[in-house]
Amino acid sequence: MSDKTINISDVVNLPLDLKEQKKALEQKSTAVLEGKVKVYDPNKDNVKNLLEMLKNRLSRQIVSSLVGCVHCGMCSDSCHYALARPHDPTMTPAYKADQIRQIFKRYIDWTGRIFPWWVHAKTPKNDEDLNRLKNIVFGTCSGCRRCTLNCPMGVDTATLVRLTRGLLTELGIVPEGVFVVDKDSWETGNQMGVSQEDYLETLEWQQEEVQAELDDPNFKISIDKEDCDFMYTVNPREIKYDPRSIGYACKIFHIAGESWTMPSFGWDQTNFGLFSGDDKLGGYIAKNLYEAAKRLRAKRIVISECGHGYRSTRWEGYNWAKYKQDIPSESVLITLIRYINQGLIKVDPSRNPLPITYHDSCNLARSGDITEEPRWILERICTDFREMYPNRSDNFCCTGGGGALSMVEYKPLRMEVAKIKADQLKATGAKLVCTSCHNCVDGLSDLIKHYKLDMQVVQILDLVAEALVIPEKDEKK
Amino acid sequence: MSEFLRILEDEVQIVALLFMATVYTIRLIWMFRFKAGKEVTEPVGSPRVGVAYSMMNVAMPWAMESARKNLSFYVQFVIFHLGVLMAITATLILPYWPEFFESEPIVRIFQLFMGAAFAVGLIRLIRRITSPVMRLISTPDDYFSVALLTAWFAAGVFAMPNQYEVSEWPLILFFGMTTLFLIYVPFSKISHYLYYPFTRYFLGKTMGHRGVFPRKKGGEKPAGLE
Repeated sequence: MSDKTINISDVVNLPLDLKEQKKALEQKSTAVLEGKVKVYDPNKDNVKNLLEMLKNRLSRQIVSSLVGCVHCGMCSDSCHYALARPHDPTMTPAYKADQIRQIFKRYIDWTGRIFPWWVHAKTPKNDEDLNRLKNIVFGTCSGCRRCTLNCPMGVDTATLVRLTRGLLTELGIVPEGVFVVDKDSWETGNQMGVSQEDYLETLEWQQEEVQAELDDPNFKISIDKEDCDFMYTVNPREIKYDPRSIGYACKIFHIAGESWTMPSFGWDQTNFGLFSGDDKLGGYIAKNLYEAAKRLRAKRIVISECGHGYRSTRWEGYNWAKYKQDIPSESVLITLIRYINQGLIKVDPSRNPLPITYHDSCNLARSGDITEEPRWILERICTDFREMYPNRSDNFCCTGGGGALSMVEYKPLRMEVAKIKADQLKATGAKLVCTSCHNCVDGLSDLIKHYKLDMQVVQILDLVAEALVIPEKDEKK
Repeated sequence: MSEFLRILEDEVQIVALLFMATVYTIRLIWMFRFKAGKEVTEPVGSPRVGVAYSMMNVAMPWAMESARKNLSFYVQFVIFHLGVLMAITATLILPYWPEFFESEPIVRIFQLFMGAAFAVGLIRLIRRITSPVMRLISTPDDYFSVALLTAWFAAGVFAMPNQYEVSEWPLILFFGMTTLFLIYVPFSKISHYLYYPFTRYFLGKTMGHRGVFPRKKGGEKPAGLE
């Protein structure tokens, strides 16, 4: 375990890395050529462009959060960055939000336009200032919304951070990882750049795995089947790094006698637009999925385990795409509850005997509506469930939220502030930490390794698959 | 009572109040010129319940960790704002119903609240000056607003007996500060009470719609059991 404290000026002054942007230009990336993903242009008046965009993106909700802060400082006790670095006042959420608030005050609000010094209103002077702004909003906040829910005024600091990220994304002043994922999302329709061939091959492989396990050659993962009860959508991480989770889900659906399908396109339920602040990208990815469900005449959309994917697909995506919700959508956890409750699947909790705790994903608990569902399931599929404190909408971020995992340059700071989560995990004495988010799986795994915790990360589907009683197979046994 | 004090308590206050109301009206028109984002998803919870919960948050210290874990800060908040309420009430009663303050217990109650609010104001000012976090985020307006209110409470304590026949200065100071206060408030952070319904409404509406507000404590029925 390292007790080293990062020098924050090293983070805030990290230069703008343009290698990937240059590479994309050389390779004639379609997303770049079509102007969907912006590259940094030092010859443009980026400050002026940022100010113009800010003016056009202000909604009443955002303005109320910009004018509503009274600088009471209560938010600093709710932020894991601020709690882990009590010596560093720049970690205070109000300070981070003030970076855009100051610009708003100087450029749009009243008092700041006349007496800027009185309310600390100021405009960025040059691109270096914009780069510093980039490092603050991308590198020192995971957008977990804990400060929002703890603000006496109800100021939505996370939304202000996202707004700022979106403005900088339009100028190409973004961390390299954000640029790459945005580009891949536009070009392939999924955030990890998975080709359709790889996607279909992975599903076929999982189909064979489940066929072998169930000894049932008729088991099928149907693609683009019309008029099913639901369309199942997944995280590209499942295709690339954790295909078992798709196999587990499909096996459970099959045993429950469900009629489901997966789309050949529009299957990515995650959405990097949430992290980069790019509503256009967010709307594009979400719309792909909604259109796929419509095309297949699915009665429901079921979203696999992913915090930001659930938030994007169930909530934000419709608003970004201005797409009136016409098909109900739900987390796979709700689907699982229905199966267990209706006796469509049988589970044996004794198959998960290790002590397990649950980590609430920020996007599920604070920006979604999912807190009791995972607990209801866990109480039925394991024998030793232990709460972590604080929990539900008071839980701390895994530190991998807000797209942090794709921004490697900020990892040392991320690991330092992960101490809050590490202490929380350690206090439970659990051997397994269960979460319902692929992002959290990686975030938690990183900090478990960093802080040398004797713990492993699992997801609900892993545990349900382990506890699942397969009728014929178990009878044979 | 001198004519000067009478005018200061009455006409000057009315003009200052009208000024504040005018600026606030313009401010509200300005706020409403920004479009409100539209929610197009099917709700899980009730936006109305969410809004009510969000608005009432201020009276539910147990519902927010920041208040729950800093109860002394919450108590200070309550005292400070009760002090504001008492001081505003006094500015309205003194000119038009002076007999109200002939009762000593009433004078003492007002003095108690304003005196306590003055003490809290001092604590807050010291906190703002000494805490590195507070220093970093504070603007001159933040310092001035707290200082102005704190001084106003002190002036209120001395003005409450309303004994202008003994000395008019405490009343002149109190109403003079009230005038400054009414003119300055719309341009300062003190006008946060104007924005509170907005921020709380929007947060409550979104979170209520999604079923996040009222916040769950455990034991609630999960979705999928219907």
